[in-house]
Formats: sequence, C-alpha cells, structure tokens
Amino acid sequence: MSQSVYRAPREWARVHPVSPILGGWAVFAAIAGGWFYTSGPQWLTGSPVEPGEFDDFDEFEALGIHPALVIVAAVLVVAIIVGLSYLSWYFTQYRIGDDAVYQRSGVISRKQRQARLNRLQAVDVVQPLLARIFGFAKLRIEVAGGEGSATEIAFLRLGDADALRNEILVLAAGHAAPVAADAGAVAEAAQAVAVNFDAPAPSLRDLAHMPEGVPAIPSAAEREMYAVHLGRLVGSMVLSWPFVVMASIPIIVVMAVFVWDANIDQAVAVAVSGGFVTAIPVVAGVLGYFWSILNSGFGFAASISQDGIRLRHGLLETRRQTVPPGRVQAVHLKQSLLWRRKDWWRITINVAGYQDETAAVSTLLPVGTRQDALTALWLVLPDMGDPDPASTISRAMSGTGADGGFTPSPRRSMVYDLLQWRFRGVKATDKALLIRHGWLVKEIFVVPHERTQSLSLKQGPLQRALRLASIEVHSTKGPVIPVADQLAVVDAIELLTQQAERARRGRQRQTPEQWMAAVGLAEEQA
Amino acid sequence: MTWFNPAGTDWTYASTRLITARMITLWLWFGVPIAAWVVLAVWVTPWLWIGAGAAAALGVWFSVIIVWQVKAHAWAEREDDLLVKRGRLFRRVTVVPYGRMQYVEVHQGPLSRMLGIARVQLHTASPGTDAHLSGVLVDEAARLRDRLTTQGEAKLAGL
Repeated sequence: MSQSVYRAPREWARVHPVSPILGGWAVFAAIAGGWFYTSGPQWLTGSPVEPGEFDDFDEFEALGIHPALVIVAAVLVVAIIVGLSYLSWYFTQYRIGDDAVYQRSGVISRKQRQARLNRLQAVDVVQPLLARIFGFAKLRIEVAGGEGSATEIAFLRLGDADALRNEILVLAAGHAAPVAADAGAVAEAAQAVAVNFDAPAPSLRDLAHMPEGVPAIPSAAEREMYAVHLGRLVGSMVLSWPFVVMASIPIIVVMAVFVWDANIDQAVAVAVSGGFVTAIPVVAGVLGYFWSILNSGFGFAASISQDGIRLRHGLLETRRQTVPPGRVQAVHLKQSLLWRRKDWWRITINVAGYQDETAAVSTLLPVGTRQDALTALWLVLPDMGDPDPASTISRAMSGTGADGGFTPSPRRSMVYDLLQWRFRGVKATDKALLIRHGWLVKEIFVVPHERTQSLSLKQGPLQRALRLASIEVHSTKGPVIPVADQLAVVDAIELLTQQAERARRGRQRQTPEQWMAAVGLAEEQA
Repeated sequence: MTWFNPAGTDWTYASTRLITARMITLWLWFGVPIAAWVVLAVWVTPWLWIGAGAAAALGVWFSVIIVWQVKAHAWAEREDDLLVKRGRLFRRVTVVPYGRMQYVEVHQGPLSRMLGIARVQLHTASPGTDAHLSGVLVDEAARLRDRLTTQGEAKLAGL
C-alpha cells in the first residue's frame, strides 16, 4: 500500500472542499427530506398524497404562476446556497507558523485570527458522525483568552488534522521547528510505535482504498492510564436519580393498587390519558440526559504522553482531546449517594479556553473506582506537594473532621449545617488547596496554588453571629467552582493570608509555557 | 481578630462623593413614586399617606445602606496584590494578584463625571473575580490604572 505523508501547511491552505457539506449537513438533510416527502414513492413516505390526485404544479398554475418559473426559482436558490458556501470555503484559509496558527475567513469583511502557541491550552480533534463516516475531522485549538477565543479548523482529512495537531503540540512544547522527514522514515517510525493510540476508526475511506498515509510528525508515544468500560458507564446511569425515579414509577403504581385497593383499569386509564401527555417531555428530557452521558462517555480512555493528557471518547461524535501539562486549573471529584456502595467517582476539570460544550469537554473521568480517580488526579496534578497524595485524597474522600490533616469547620457551625458540618474541611499542601464537603453527595475540590486567579473571603450576617466565614477560590471559567463554606473566621483569615502567599510562590515556579524547553528535553531530543 | 485586616495595610477608602452620586440616583428613583403618593393622598384620601410614608421610609433605609456600604468600601495596594473590601452586612474581601490581572478598565458615567469620580474594574481570567473599585477620584483612577497595568505586566504569570 502506498504511503503518503500528511503535513501541516506552512503556506495558506484551504480546508477540505467538502467542509460546507459536512458543516451544513442538517440543511441539506432537511432539503432532501422535504423533497423525499413530497416526491418519494408513497408507500415509502407514508404521505397521504395519492399520485395524480394532487400535483404541486397544478397548485401553482391555479395561482397563475408558470411551472417553469417555479423550477427556475428552486434552481436559483440552490445555486445561490452552493455559491455562497463555495465562496465562504474559498476565503477560509489557515496555516501554521512557528509561534501561532493563523486563520483568515470572511468574504466581505475579512477576519484574521491567530492562536498563539505559547498560550495554548488544549487541542481537540473532533469527528462529528458524518465527518467520521467519511474520514474527516475538525480541529479545535483553545488558547488562553476571552470569550470565543477558540480557533476551529473544519474540516480536514483525518490525517491532515492529526498532522496539524502533532505539529502544534511539538511547536508549543518548545521544540525547534520540526524537520519534515521523508515518507519512508516516517512510516517506519509510525510502525515502531507499538500501541498506536491514535489509530483512526474505520471509515468509508478505507473501503474506498484511499491511501492511508502518516502524519509528517508522529504523535508522541503515549500510555493508557485508565478506560471506562461500557458496563460501568451503563451502571453509572442505572445508579443515578433520574433512572431510580423512572424505575420506581411502576412500583409506586402497583403499590397504590394494592394498598388503596384502587381499580387497576382506572389507574392505567388515568395514567394513559392524563399522565401520558405530561410525561412525554419529561421522558424525552430524561432520555436526552442518558443519551448525552452515553454519547460523551462512550469508550472513554485517558492516557499520558509528552504532550500532556490525552482524552478520547464519544459514541457518534468522537473527540480526542490533548491538554498539555499544567493546563488544568481546578479539579472536582464527586460521588453521589447511589455511587457510594460501589465507591465510584466522577471528575470534572477546568481548562482555560474550554468555553463551549463544557459538559462534553470538561470530564476527566465520567465514572471510575477510587483507584481510577486517584490515577486521574495524579494525571493532571502529578505533584500535589504531599508526601502521600493517594492517602491524603483517599482520606479526604471518606474522612470527617480533622482526619487527614484537614482544618474542619468548627462545631458551632452545626447550627446552620446540622448534617454536613462534620464533612467540611480545607487543607493546603505545598502545591494545592483541597476543599472537602458533602454528607450525602461527597465532593472534593483541588486547586493548584499557581492556578489560583484570585481569592475572596465572605461573611453574611448569620455567619457573623457565629464567627464563621467562607472562602471562594476563583478559577477560570468552567464547571468547577471551588468554595469552602462555614470555616471559623480565624481559620478563614489565616487561610486567605497564607493562600495569597502560596499563590505568589506558586506563580514564580509554575510550569513555563513551553513545557519541554523548560526541562531541557527539547535539546536532548533534537 | 474579627475581620481580615493585615497589619500595616494602608487602606484607601472610597470617596464620599460616591455617597452623593448614589443618593442622587436613589432619590431620583424614589422621588417620583413618593410624589405620586403625596398627590393622591391630598386629592383622594388621606389613607394614601401610608404609602408615601412607606416609600419614604424605604428610601431612608436604602440611604443608610448606601452610607454604610460606601464607608466600608476600601482598597489597598500591597506589594504583590490588590485588596478590595466591601459590604457591611455581607462582608467580602477579595485578593487580586497583580500577576493575574488581564486588563484594567476605568468607567465613568455622566453623573460620576460631574462629581469627578470613576469606577475601576479589574479583569482576571476568572469570571468569579468580581473586583471593582467604586468612587475612585479621577486622578487616583488614572494613577491606579497605570500602576496596576505596569504591575500586571511586570508580574504577569501564564495562565
């Protein structure tokens, strides 16, 4: 089989010409569907229109419009849509430079954007279903910045997307500009990597025997750290409140029949007539909830490489995320009551730049055992500044009071917090701040000091009466919002003072932007 | 120690002109309904004086809160961070490191321009950082903006 080499373009290049179709497939599908409904064979569409009984053109003729005019108008509309998409595609170009990825777009008002690689926060290769079927992908480049700072390059052949991603990561890590190897050497190198984590899913491209090709820069070798099996993912959905509530409805109905001796026919009639209409949106919502969990958590796997953490997941739309080292701003571990017996945990993270679809991109572990959770935490925060991080976190997961070196909430706070106060606590290690709380739903926040944006100390009138206060740790935008409530004022003030100092020290020694150059690995490898 | 007040911190309190500015806004809002109640009370029934009284009492209560809030609002420039404190009933102290400031914004409405005060808004990468200084004298605002910007540039840390 012939091997071609995918290279990231240094000169302005266009995205793949099929992009408008892949991006706007919903519109095309709607048009096709409409055509099919009106013009498809009746036995297929099930439309009540009998052939010959009703004709679109007769209708138009009745209105005094010539049928030919209708066809011309339809052709014109389609031509305009196609023309505009083509123009927009023609004017959308991208290229990679040594320090940034550039993109320019817009037909009338031109737009230039550049994603500076030293501000790189994450690179995702996303394959929506249709793109995946045909072997295409889009690349999302997240940089530190305000709203809408992500650069999306859609769509590229999967190989091009991988090549671009690999080059971005190599450059961002601080390696010198990579030397493009010749095809043979690259192919050898690609085969040398025993476990090719990035092996693309089979697509129509393979059926069409298109050349497979390899990226000019191979992706960094990686090691899988944990994976979530389908069984556990389904189990996590079964052990969730929406499922429990849904499953208990028939039981409640049956119980009602026995206990109150209600007429079962009547109950069913009521349920069907009255309950059905109201139930539809609820059921749709619950199913949507399950679907989103299944779709985003399917085949979830995390691995570690020189480029940082790699997350791979998705059922219909697959996503391969790469978050370089030290880009995780805050971590949130959570265990609902139903998961406690299994000791399952869910972990979400804040990554600066991830602004859209945060539920899909901010999950580090959809469901996992305590061991998985500890591994996941180690993955994003390899150095917690604690001699025995596993035991500290483990004790935070199930401890109360001062257990594990935490500063607990004082006993007097039970007035406001009768059931939870025992479980509240904070602990600062050399590198991170740990916040623990939750009686039924256990939660732990971990925020590295050098990632703390700012801090707030808060106190309301009721808290003041009992000399309590809360500390807020401000992280970048994301699902994780760490707060430590109901601390003793003295402890809170102490924490604020020390935390400001720790954050200052943390900023001084933080992971530099170019992570490989920092440790001298760049020269070694070159 | 009842509240956060590190030794040697040099607090700058908000200008009392902020009280004037907020009072004007407040009483513009309350003046119209109170006047309406009074007019109706004179013409229709004296019972409506109750409404006028209640509105006035509410206005007075808000005025007291305004005075409290402005008196409690202060900031301090420390070596590495800016402290902002506000609130009397619901107290809050925010620590914003210079190295975390993305940009600084000075805002002035027509009323504050008349009174010569401004609002300095600090932006970090976190949406949770709600740090703004109200009632800053104009010259001080310009100085603060420049100082915070230079400090921010000197100490800017990567995200």
